[in-house]
Amino acid sequence: MVMILKERVIENRIMGDPIQMLYKMVISGQAAQTATPGQFVHLQVADSNEPLLRRPLSIAGIDKNTEEVTIYYKVIGKGTELLTRIKENEYISVLGPLGTGFTVPDSGELLLVAGGIGIFPLLSLIQAVDKEKVKLKLLWGGENKQFIESAGLIDIEKMGVNLDMSTLDGSLGTKGLVTDLLESYLGDNTDTIAKPKDNGKQNLRVATCGPKGMLQAVTKICLGHNVPVEVSLEERMACGIGACLGCVCTVKDLEGNLKRKRVCKEGPVMDGKEVVWDE
Amino acid sequence: MSKVSMAIQMSGLSLRNPIITSSGTYGFGEEYSPFCSPSLLGGITVKGITPLPRLGNPVPRLAETPAGLLNSVGLENPGLEGFIRSYLPKLVELDTSVIVNISGFSIEDYAHLASAFQNDSGIAALEVNISCPNIKHGGMAFGTHPESAQEVIAIVRKNTDLPIIAKLSPNVTDIVEMARAVERGGADIISLINTLLGMSIDVKSQKPILANKMGGLSGPAVRPIAVRMVYQVYEAVDIPIVGMGGISTWQDAVEFMLAGASAVSIGTANFINPIAPVDILTGLENYCQQRGYGSVQEIVGLAHQR
Repeated sequence: MVMILKERVIENRIMGDPIQMLYKMVISGQAAQTATPGQFVHLQVADSNEPLLRRPLSIAGIDKNTEEVTIYYKVIGKGTELLTRIKENEYISVLGPLGTGFTVPDSGELLLVAGGIGIFPLLSLIQAVDKEKVKLKLLWGGENKQFIESAGLIDIEKMGVNLDMSTLDGSLGTKGLVTDLLESYLGDNTDTIAKPKDNGKQNLRVATCGPKGMLQAVTKICLGHNVPVEVSLEERMACGIGACLGCVCTVKDLEGNLKRKRVCKEGPVMDGKEVVWDE
Repeated sequence: MSKVSMAIQMSGLSLRNPIITSSGTYGFGEEYSPFCSPSLLGGITVKGITPLPRLGNPVPRLAETPAGLLNSVGLENPGLEGFIRSYLPKLVELDTSVIVNISGFSIEDYAHLASAFQNDSGIAALEVNISCPNIKHGGMAFGTHPESAQEVIAIVRKNTDLPIIAKLSPNVTDIVEMARAVERGGADIISLINTLLGMSIDVKSQKPILANKMGGLSGPAVRPIAVRMVYQVYEAVDIPIVGMGGISTWQDAVEFMLAGASAVSIGTANFINPIAPVDILTGLENYCQQRGYGSVQEIVGLAHQR
């Protein structure tokens, strides 16, 4: 259930290399009770008119027992900068959990493709998947070693995920783009990909988050291999609950008609197949 | 302390209290119901309806500015038929006054839209958005020209027996002239202000942020302009006013009512605080009670006293 809550911040600290401006925030309270992987919370970063709007931040971790929601964020503007000033034990207005998250598979293989800070919403999915039943693989591309290490590499390794990385400068993992990793992975693992004769049974599915151009490329590659793909989108957002129609995404239905979906309500996670990328 | 009467009457439109939500900020009433029961509100104004369905503008549709928000949604809506089929039945069940906002691109559009809504439709009033471009006359907005504004309202008047609220655009040289024009056209109520035309440019990409380049500015940044316009219009016309433009707190609502608004409408503030209308109502009621007013209607226009 969606709620407007005053929740206590129990942790808000910079992670790793300060130049990366990456932060971890843990919020204690009811939002954790109903949150699902891929959803987001809409936070009021300050009680002021500037910035005027709330800030949508994807949920990276959900702990229903301790009632904690973990958020990772990168400082990119005034809103996120104000967010860093919130101290432990201060309260923050949380609207959420909001939106429609990822499908959590209970069998087969789940391939996660992350671009930069697009890793953050995928963390909540890694956490939710039953690793006994689902084969999990993560492909993560970032700018360089400093970024990837600061963005929580050690924690991800601790989660026991099979991980391949790429960096633009080659300082960690393969030099190049994460889409290159995806191409070669799908090329090497054609046996796990559903064939038309499998009667729709899909062994391998992909969940991805990152910059829009990357999501478009990932979707194209996946669909080329007949692999279903869920994309977590980002858009400028106001209300966060589907009322203002500010954050729409264009989709094409089965009959080929163009429609709008709301990134905040039907998304942020959408079926990559229906997203119209070049409007 | 005695209870303050919060009900208001505005030429044919009776509301439980003076707090309405603004068109385009409150969807079709469903999205906010988990936070704010419609039964607490004076009324809700639904997203603008056009004769045919519209996909609206591409994204980005939003740009945040100091104490404000630019939007260019482009009237995305399911169209008249889609609205009547999929949304109206649920809306009329809500325990509040429902105001339907209509937007057209020709005089004929407005006639067609107005004729679809009558006293027996289960809605309380029609709000006429006259800020749309008149495509038959070079795209000049109806609401920036007194004759065409009057003509639009007159054709709506001819086609419906519902109370008509004429929503004025602030993008004009003389708001009073526009208010008088819609009063002549037969409007029962005037609402103002619609958004102010604005632009924001990204210094990195060196391009306008909005896909549509220009958009409508709302939020606290526009409030002093709106208050001034309500004040001016109150002195110039005999019909009641719904004031709007950046109302976020009860003090803002009181300010508009003192300027001459009989009711106020909450828009952008909903995005930050989904229970803003109820918070504002509570504050308004306390204000009236503490100052000993028997009815909230007593404060309307008090700023005009000498």
